[in-house]
Amino acid sequence: MRRREVLRLLATGTALQFAPRNLLVTIAQARTLLGSPAGLRTLDAHQEAIVRMMTELILPRTDTAGAADVGATEFIDLMLTEWYEQAERTLFVKGLADVDARSRMLFGKDFTDCSPMQQADILTALGEHMVEEGAQPLPVESNSASETNFYAMLRRLTLTAYYTSEKGATEELHFEIIPGMYEGCRPTSPVKGVEEEK
Amino acid sequence: MSEQTTYDAIVVGSGITGGWAAKELSEKGLRTLVLEAGRPIVPEQDYVEHVPTWEMKFRGLGDRKRLLADQPIQSTCYACDEWSSKFFIKDKEHPYTTPQDKPFRWIRGRQVGGRSIMWGRQSYRWSDLDFEANLRDGIAIDWPLRYKDIEPWYDYVEEFAGISGEALGLPQLPDSKFLPPMELNCTERLVRERVAKHFSGERVLTIGRAAILTAEKGDRAACHYCGPCERGCITRSYFSSLNATLPAAEKTGRMTLRPFSVVHSVSFDSKTRRATGVRVIDSRTHAALEFRAKVVFLCASTLESVRILLNSSTPEFSNGLANSSGELGHNLMDHIMGSGAEATVLGNEDKVEIGRRPNGVYMPRFRNVKTKHPEFLRGYGYQGGAFREGWERGITQVGFGPDFKKSLSRPGPWRFTLYGFGECLPNHNNFVELDKSNTDAWGIPILKIFCAFGENEDKMRRDMEMAAAEILAAVGARNIQPGTQEDPPGLAIHEMGTARMGHDPKTSVLNAFNQSHDVKNLFVTDGGAMVSSSCVNPSLTYMALTARACDYAVKQMKKGEL
Repeated sequence: MRRREVLRLLATGTALQFAPRNLLVTIAQARTLLGSPAGLRTLDAHQEAIVRMMTELILPRTDTAGAADVGATEFIDLMLTEWYEQAERTLFVKGLADVDARSRMLFGKDFTDCSPMQQADILTALGEHMVEEGAQPLPVESNSASETNFYAMLRRLTLTAYYTSEKGATEELHFEIIPGMYEGCRPTSPVKGVEEEK
Repeated sequence: MSEQTTYDAIVVGSGITGGWAAKELSEKGLRTLVLEAGRPIVPEQDYVEHVPTWEMKFRGLGDRKRLLADQPIQSTCYACDEWSSKFFIKDKEHPYTTPQDKPFRWIRGRQVGGRSIMWGRQSYRWSDLDFEANLRDGIAIDWPLRYKDIEPWYDYVEEFAGISGEALGLPQLPDSKFLPPMELNCTERLVRERVAKHFSGERVLTIGRAAILTAEKGDRAACHYCGPCERGCITRSYFSSLNATLPAAEKTGRMTLRPFSVVHSVSFDSKTRRATGVRVIDSRTHAALEFRAKVVFLCASTLESVRILLNSSTPEFSNGLANSSGELGHNLMDHIMGSGAEATVLGNEDKVEIGRRPNGVYMPRFRNVKTKHPEFLRGYGYQGGAFREGWERGITQVGFGPDFKKSLSRPGPWRFTLYGFGECLPNHNNFVELDKSNTDAWGIPILKIFCAFGENEDKMRRDMEMAAAEILAAVGARNIQPGTQEDPPGLAIHEMGTARMGHDPKTSVLNAFNQSHDVKNLFVTDGGAMVSSSCVNPSLTYMALTARACDYAVKQMKKGEL
């Protein structure tokens, strides 16, 4: 049963009288679906904690909002639940397990119990692995291609969640819905600067 | 009160050409019925260009599962996104078939305004390089008109639609009556200078010529550079039927616009050998209706207009109405696209764009203009532009943390893209027919489409890719990435040719005024009329031909000829 249908049923008191005999089962399923502390539907509490930490490590709160401030984890859970195919969902969940496996091997504890330095080491290793695999993260607007690398998928989701959020777009990127003008050659102010070539 | 069923004129379709026919015929005094198969559009409610990404459930990525289920073909078009997919048909509701090895992407919009809501807005005049092409190459049949015949009509429609662009004085791409051009950005300026120097004027780069206002026109405002025109435009700055021609037709008080009206066929009187009107199925009630008029304009799009005619067989015209030539449904063309190159251009790192210009650059055709190319006929133009890479570049990078975040808050390197739109040769064997064993939801037989690009297109495609890389190398670009996406025909959404014009009724469906050779009060003014495909975007030419055909039809009516 689709979640929306479940929610509709739960919200409709009268539905009980006409509900099929297995309604109690359905409600139980719905509770499971809606069950994690943050109301997430695919990630369990431990997976959620890893995602929350990793996304915030990638785009931390500085003088502007960070990934957690804009609900990156909630967006990722939505995408895993409603957007991705089963194989991609599995890739992601396995990827999270692999993050723990790496941290246990290297530091003898779960990723969420590691120090920020140790966590950074793991992200660096994941990045190296991503480059080695030659993972080409999907073009942002691709509907048909599939994800193949966990870390590329996480990065794509984290960056999308952040830069398309209201805070990310307007405060970080100075996006305006109605610019009202076009200028093709505006010198950048020192604050906005440019990316230094490295 | 019963519905009025008799009019002076019937226009089938309300897209680019239907809008023009509605405006012209009603302004010339005809009581005009415009039949649109789809629903009405209310700009204040339906336009979504200012809805920000953060208000979209999937943040602009689209509802992937729904798109793959409902719009697997439509969603291959860039404009069919989370905002605009509602302007595209649901594929399952509007089926067609193709042979397994000849895919065709038929991209459609069924609503008042048709595809003029989501069109690309690029607007270029065709030239005698195009109108003489078939005669010169001995291919298919000659166009029954030349540039001088259509030139005043380009002037006429441009004056009303509003085309921004830069005059270049090129014979292969005549200048329009331009509104001020949009600005090139600094990297486009740099590339333009280097191209001019390196190719000594044989190849030039200019701003795209776009049906977008850069200055106020009547009650339509100048563009405010929000960016995504395909989601609508509440200031009516870009040209569409909804933004421009239909309001003008409405103003005459002589237009009746009837949405939810699926045209089944054209009715024909065998005694007078004239069309008497059209048969319609109301898409909501499935009621069969008939409307009558003195003149019928088919503006339903290249493939829908031909489908209506094929479905209008009579004892005299057993293979489709107005098809004594046997060419109806044949010679289907589309442009080849998706081949070109992109690269990084160093310099201007301290410059940015302000505003989102809904337009790119254009490089007019340079193949087979002055010299003959050894491998293929005709040519192509490039579209593209320069932009600074955005936050998306961070996905493939390995960085993270405060410095990484800071670097992504700033614009990335300048990228430059050049992708070709190439001419497709007319070929009798690219055709559509009715699949009588399959009908749509209204009982109308669906189309079977047989269309594939040929050898000339394949050779041109390779050249489009190589020459783009050559140009980018010549301007000193780095990291040049040539590429070809083997898109099947249809995706350029420039399908045309299935009711071609011509001098000879034995080899063509329409005369030089888009009038059926066989049925004098029947006109087809959409892309069906085209005899060759040029390499430039066709909509402006459809507009000019429609206005010209309306003028001719009304004059003929006044003379008592129709």
